[in-house]
Amino acid sequence: MPTEKNDLHRGTLDMLILKVVASGPLHGYAIAQRLNQISKDYFQVPQGSLYPALHRLEEREWLDAEWKDTSTGREAKFYTLTTKGKKQLEAEVLGWERLSDAVSLILRTAD
Amino acid sequence: MRWLRRIGHKPLAEKRLDSELHFHLEQQISDYLASGMSPAEARRRANLEFGSVEGFKEECREARWENQLDIFIRDFRFALRGLLKDRRFAFVSIFALALAIGASTAMFSVVDNALFEPFPYKDQGRLVVVNIRDLDQNENPRGMFTMPEIQEIREHNTVFESIANNQQDDVIQMGTEASMRLDGNFVTPGSLDLLGVPALIGRALEDADYQPGAPPVFVLRYKTWQGKFNSDSAVIGKTFTLNGVGRTLVGVMPPRFAWGGADLWIPCSYEAAQTLKSGQFDRLWGFVARMKPGTSFNEASAEMTVIAKRLAALYPKDYPKHFDVNVESFGHAVVPQQFRNSLYLFLAAVSLLLLIGCGNVANLLLARATTRYKEFAVRSALGASRQRLIRQLLVESLLLALGGAFLGVLFAWAGVRVLSTSMPDNTVASETVIEMNPTVLVFALVIGVGTIFIFGLVPALEASRCDLQDSLRDAGKGLSGTGSHARLRNSVIVLEVALSLTLLFTAGLFIRSFMALSRVPLGFGIDHILSARIPLPPNRYKTSAQIIAFYRPLLERLNSLPGDTSAATASSYPPYDCCPSEFEVAGKSHDEKRNAIVQISSEDYFQVLHIPFLEGRTFLADEVNDARKVAVINQTFRSRYFKNENPIGQRVHLTLMETLPDPVANAWFEIVGVVGDSKNHGLQNPNDPEIWFPYTVYPRPAWALVVRTVNDPAKMIKAIGKEVWSTDPAVAMADPQSMERIRDVDLLAQPRFGLWLVTVFAAIGLVLVTIGVYSVMAYSTSRQTHEFGIRMALGAEAGDVLSMVLRKGTKLLLAGIGIGLAASFAVARTVVAQLWGVSAYDLLSLVAVVVLLLFVGLAACWIPARRATRIDPVMALRYE
Repeated sequence: MPTEKNDLHRGTLDMLILKVVASGPLHGYAIAQRLNQISKDYFQVPQGSLYPALHRLEEREWLDAEWKDTSTGREAKFYTLTTKGKKQLEAEVLGWERLSDAVSLILRTAD
Repeated sequence: MRWLRRIGHKPLAEKRLDSELHFHLEQQISDYLASGMSPAEARRRANLEFGSVEGFKEECREARWENQLDIFIRDFRFALRGLLKDRRFAFVSIFALALAIGASTAMFSVVDNALFEPFPYKDQGRLVVVNIRDLDQNENPRGMFTMPEIQEIREHNTVFESIANNQQDDVIQMGTEASMRLDGNFVTPGSLDLLGVPALIGRALEDADYQPGAPPVFVLRYKTWQGKFNSDSAVIGKTFTLNGVGRTLVGVMPPRFAWGGADLWIPCSYEAAQTLKSGQFDRLWGFVARMKPGTSFNEASAEMTVIAKRLAALYPKDYPKHFDVNVESFGHAVVPQQFRNSLYLFLAAVSLLLLIGCGNVANLLLARATTRYKEFAVRSALGASRQRLIRQLLVESLLLALGGAFLGVLFAWAGVRVLSTSMPDNTVASETVIEMNPTVLVFALVIGVGTIFIFGLVPALEASRCDLQDSLRDAGKGLSGTGSHARLRNSVIVLEVALSLTLLFTAGLFIRSFMALSRVPLGFGIDHILSARIPLPPNRYKTSAQIIAFYRPLLERLNSLPGDTSAATASSYPPYDCCPSEFEVAGKSHDEKRNAIVQISSEDYFQVLHIPFLEGRTFLADEVNDARKVAVINQTFRSRYFKNENPIGQRVHLTLMETLPDPVANAWFEIVGVVGDSKNHGLQNPNDPEIWFPYTVYPRPAWALVVRTVNDPAKMIKAIGKEVWSTDPAVAMADPQSMERIRDVDLLAQPRFGLWLVTVFAAIGLVLVTIGVYSVMAYSTSRQTHEFGIRMALGAEAGDVLSMVLRKGTKLLLAGIGIGLAASFAVARTVVAQLWGVSAYDLLSLVAVVVLLLFVGLAACWIPARRATRIDPVMALRYE
């Protein structure tokens, strides 16, 4: 087991999903792939845990879902960001930036 | 409307969820295949990276709110099914919880109502009484005072805000067919204000009513208004002739107002109070005071001691040589000390019962939990989240708690009802209303329900905390099976057995005492006797001639009533005869004081009560008519003072008769007969020497009447009352009732109540201890399933297993019995003061109780032991 296990905080995962989906309609597998790609496999979470998060975000109406055919002709569930979701993403990003600014400021100056 | 559609299309939603997750897996697999992995490896990796499909499905479902309700209903059904499957467990835990809640709430409610809040009076915490206790003699303290004493206290105390006094008096209300005798109370100025209760109808007594020369008024008790005046509000403002004085009824007091237990209250100025006397004696008045705010009982007692010392110097005859003065809470003073002690004892017992009930429930839940570790391990392996497991157990606990709480409230309600109706009169204040105390009920519910939730959740917490693998392997030997837990459970059982033994033993003592008490030979025929007091109005019955002129025709009238009636009068009736006197016997000198109870009666007294003559005869009619000084003595008198001589013809001098008001001159009486002993000093005390002489020698205005009839005495009350009225319409009987009723209500009711109470608690304790032993034994045998399996596989017989389990149970029972015996003797020594005719170390009760406990305890072990013998070794070994 690696010494630092990077558990994703539930709120953080939600924010990352919203961010990924913001780029356009994506199905669950694509979202997982994008997350892994971007984070360079930094987060080690079971891929399945993505789905409860997606359903939760859909329930809150931050994501909209639609069953459509993929490029290979199979039917899949595609998620898109709603207006409400967009606002939420903005708010969370703002909050995250504030937090990370504050944390890095402390780390730099607290010596 | 999305949710509506979703509820309507649940199978579709399931299908979609399934295909969404499988789409992911298949994409992953096909990506891995594309990167050149073998199909088997691709599938393995994809599955591994994804995690538990079923688990995430469940989480996805939970993310949708409409599924929450569904899940709850499912949990609910699941829990219900689980409990129904384990019906014995469910029934026993609910029952144990309900018993504990019900019994403790009922008992706490009674004690709270009876001892701590007995009165409806304003700010009753500051209401006090003053008691003067003789330090040399173990008698009831004096809490009543004469008017001169009260005057002195009123002038010199600084601790009381106000003082109320009352004085009992027989009040006769003249009627047209029969007169009514009521319990009146004279009350001193400000009394009703001090108690602070407004009238229900009309008005209470006001300052002006107490002024000398004010128009005579009175207020009525609710119960009396209801019973004797048919709740007719038109009686307010009417004038009634009470003891010859026309008094206006100005108000009816509310239901719980019953100060002094009176029917009506009559205002009395201090001036008038000074002149009320019994003969030449000052009358004693009841005394209640309200302490000033911030005054402590100690301060008040200290000041009253100073005042009492001064009073003792002024009235040395009324004060004992050594005494102390205690200011006590009014509420406490009204409940007799003995009864108060029993209540506290029961209170302690019942708190323990609550704890034991909860301990049982905890044991049961733990036992059930251990047998379910495997179930929980499997379920969590199959993807049930910890939350989900906890929630399911919560629902199960909720069901148990609801059942227990509902039944518990029912038990509490029934318990309070039964206790309040079976509580004997004169043990609590007349004002006391026994009702359910909601705070106590909530407290008991919280403890009981809390136990269920805390111990009900243990399996979920442990199952989800400990390693899955371990749980699967070790199923049935979970964490709660460690040594310290087992010891805790065993000690709970030992304590339960000990407590149960103590309760049972106490109950045994009460039963034996009650049996002894109800078998006391009375010495007279109690059946078919009606007894009553006849208070003659003192203003019209002053001389002997007047009193004899009332009784002689009355007794004649009563003797000629239908139903073979015979009647007699006496100064009092058994088993409480009155007035001890010193006496001397003519021609003898003796150093020690000789005492006998002096009774004054008509000639038929012995015949009416069926008291047999052993020697000589009763008074002759002429002797009564001529007021001759002849006397009859009882057997105790004869055997104590005339051991070897003939008492007939001896002359006895009764000192008392020469010192009373209106003394009998030259009080020498000639003995003409000896009767058998009848109880004259209560049921529980040995008989005192007693002597009777004709009532015409010393007539008093307050006499008792005894009438024997072949009919039901209670049905004769009206006819006898009518004869009394015909003799003098201004006279009425007080407390007419059959002697059997006196025995049942006045003499045996309190011991019967104590007996009943302790028996019920002992029974509850026994039930709980049975449940406790059963639950612990069932638990430990279920944990030993594997061990028994091995033993039986290795050749142990069913009998060996049986005796193994029973031996373990017996060990616990014996330990409990040992501790219980020690506790029983300690408790018995404190209760034995309330008992009679039985020793604190009563062997019969002891043996019976130990045998009963062993029998019940072993029976409780028997069920799990039998189950252990039916273990199939193969199954038991695979069970691991």
